[in-house]
Amino acid sequence: MSIHAPEANWFKPPSGAERTWIGLALAWCLVLSIMMPYWHFKGKQNSTGDSYRVTPAAFAARVEQFVKTNKVAEINGVPVVEPSPGGDAYLQGQMWRWYPALKLRVNQTYRLHISSTDLQHGFSLQPMNMNFQVLPGYDHVLTITPTMKGEYSIVCNEFCGIGHHLMTGKIIVE
Amino acid sequence: MANAVAIPASHEESEVITKPVGNHAAGNSRTCDTTGLPVCLTAQLFIRLNAVLGVVALLAGGIAALLIALTRWPAVHLLDPVWYYRLTTFHGLNMLIFWILFMEVGILYFASTTLLNSRLFSKGMAWASFVMMVAGAVLVDVTILGGKADVMMTSYVPLKAHSNFYLGIILVAVGTLIGVANFFGTLYIAKRDKTYAGSVPLVVFGATAAAIIAVVTLLHGALVMIPTWLWSMDILKEVDAGWYRLVWWGLGHQSQQVNVCAMVSVWYFLATLTTGAKPLNQAVCRGAFVLYILFINLASAHHLLVDPGVGASWKIWNTSYAMYLAVLASMIHGFTVPASVETAMRKKGHNRGLFGWLAAAPWKNPGFSAFFLSLLIFGFIGGITGVTLGTQQINILAHNTLRIPGHFHSTVVGGTSLAFMGLAYYVVPLIFKREYYARGLARVQPYLFAVGIVLMSLGMSFAGSYGVPRRHWDIEFTGAQFAPGFGSGAHVMLGLMGVGAVIAFVGLLTFILLTVAAVFFGKKIENRAMTPW
Amino acid sequence: MPENEEKAAEVFAHEHEEEEHKTPGTVVLTLALLISFAVYYFANWKALADVWHVR
Ligand code: HEM
Ligand SMILES: [Cu+2]
Ligand SMILES: [Cu+2]
Repeated sequence: MSIHAPEANWFKPPSGAERTWIGLALAWCLVLSIMMPYWHFKGKQNSTGDSYRVTPAAFAARVEQFVKTNKVAEINGVPVVEPSPGGDAYLQGQMWRWYPALKLRVNQTYRLHISSTDLQHGFSLQPMNMNFQVLPGYDHVLTITPTMKGEYSIVCNEFCGIGHHLMTGKIIVE
Repeated sequence: MANAVAIPASHEESEVITKPVGNHAAGNSRTCDTTGLPVCLTAQLFIRLNAVLGVVALLAGGIAALLIALTRWPAVHLLDPVWYYRLTTFHGLNMLIFWILFMEVGILYFASTTLLNSRLFSKGMAWASFVMMVAGAVLVDVTILGGKADVMMTSYVPLKAHSNFYLGIILVAVGTLIGVANFFGTLYIAKRDKTYAGSVPLVVFGATAAAIIAVVTLLHGALVMIPTWLWSMDILKEVDAGWYRLVWWGLGHQSQQVNVCAMVSVWYFLATLTTGAKPLNQAVCRGAFVLYILFINLASAHHLLVDPGVGASWKIWNTSYAMYLAVLASMIHGFTVPASVETAMRKKGHNRGLFGWLAAAPWKNPGFSAFFLSLLIFGFIGGITGVTLGTQQINILAHNTLRIPGHFHSTVVGGTSLAFMGLAYYVVPLIFKREYYARGLARVQPYLFAVGIVLMSLGMSFAGSYGVPRRHWDIEFTGAQFAPGFGSGAHVMLGLMGVGAVIAFVGLLTFILLTVAAVFFGKKIENRAMTPW
Repeated sequence: MPENEEKAAEVFAHEHEEEEHKTPGTVVLTLALLISFAVYYFANWKALADVWHVR
């Protein structure tokens, strides 16, 4: 009885169906555990948390430099910036926009640096639905390869104040 | 259902127990007329106080729940952004922290006194705990509703709330810690005074596991909230955003394991009360609780899977500890609990086919239906989504989307909260000694709440799979520099969520009204057993 | 422990064990859980494999 003291010799190994279930569950847990290291080596989508310390001011300066040297166009008054394939790209999260808009080449790999100059933000690429946390003080580097052409949006999915739902950005893949 | 409480006389147990006597002061205990269990009157007072405050928090959080759900339903979009964000903060804290913690402290007092035939360790500590928790909760709520803490319950730095918000949380945490200490004190005096013989009952064992994890959890809470409080008063210059997340989730995630332990203990308790079930193998059940204690500590990693600052190997290791042994523990309980019910029902002769025992179960007893629905929702929705979302790489698809609230509304709401509701259908007659009115309505209530939560959970989960963010006022992005928008699939799912939320709210309100009516105006139960469900 | 008592304990334990085997309904329930679990879990890996590459 679960509300009374158990019988004195309550310790006995599991038996019958219960024992089989524990075995099955254990095997399943092993599968769950192995999948992560397996994907780390064989899979193409991993969050390695690659990041560097950076002050908000220093990061903003890098973003400005990046925009200045690589700007190719403008939409809605927002600069569209095209990094060189294999090179570094910068994206700044701030209340309440993702800056600047990026233009990437399909199947090219970029080192995408994302950081915040104020609060925490959530980088959420739609409709691809890939999500990463963005923190002030951390330069979060995603080594990213767009595999499909199209126009993508970035929304913010970490609450960042009253204008949070207005915080959007753009990535164009050609 | 002739017996109010289906506890079969158990020969093997009464043989072992050499009638130990309790340590109650004269006149400070009574024997329950229904179960025959001893009740410490001091503990009874505080179980009542905690339960009442828990239900008050549930009501406050529930009203906010309806309003924010109707805002997230695009066809309704009820609140303005300020109040949506404010009430989302309010809802999270009143539900996840206040409702749950008040109930859990009550459960700890119950398990350590009644089930061990002991008195409560200290009345003074119980008062201190209660007063601090109430003061803290009121301070937090007043600060939020006053518009001084629109920061969500996670209050991620450098988003800053008024210092009273952090102070309130610290008060609640310390108050809870004192309540937990009172529990351990009671375990100690019960052991010292030999109020029971042999090992503690399984439910007490589970409650002890919850209490141990609670201590670790609350220490993380102190470690993170105290510097943040100082920072909010400009005494500390900076709190690192990454460090905050790491330690805060040491509080936030592990406290969910407290909830799981408490919920599983309630499952065992209700299974026994409603069907006479007993664990098939005590060693297995207890072993599973031990796994919770041992393997949960760094599960804060589940919330940092796509964070900068922590590396892949750290994430993978702390997600699984090389083996998902805490998941194993839940899967074990997921077997042992229904198996104990099945065994008990078959023993009573309900042997037809595979599920004759289940069909014959007391589904009209809200204590049973709440418990079994909680088990199903927690296992089939909460467990499966939780482990999947918590897989390091898969988290890329899910982090901060509505899939996350979809998941935890099927664990801590459809699971823990529903189980606690089932518990209330016994706590009110046995501890408050009052009968429920409108018993037909009470029999329906668990189904109403369960259906609502399931629809809402699934709606949230699938909307999140389309990428819909959580904590977000406007997925049409009206007025934003770019307006991504979401397709019709996402809108359908948000509609499903909204319908589910309304049903769940009706279920929740029914529970509260029935319980309040019973507690304050219910027919008194004196010198007789409760009317069986 | 005297011999006959030990025997009694054995008989008792044996009785219990036989009871434990009779939970076919629970076995079906838990297997259903395991199967849904595996389906949802691997469907998610499949979905993950379809998004951009990232390290
Ligand atoms: C009728 C019952 C309930 C309904 C309709 C409901 C609805 C909701 C909704 C719509 C959200 C907001 C999701 C978003 O926009 O991000 C939410 C968030 C949340 N709910 Fe509930 N809920 C209910 C009960 C509960 C209970 C009982 C608990 C805890 C025990 C709970 C815990 C939470 C938490 C922790 C959050 C997250 C708040 C945040 O993002 O900071 N809910 N709920
Ligand atoms: Cu943002
Ligand atoms: Cu935001």
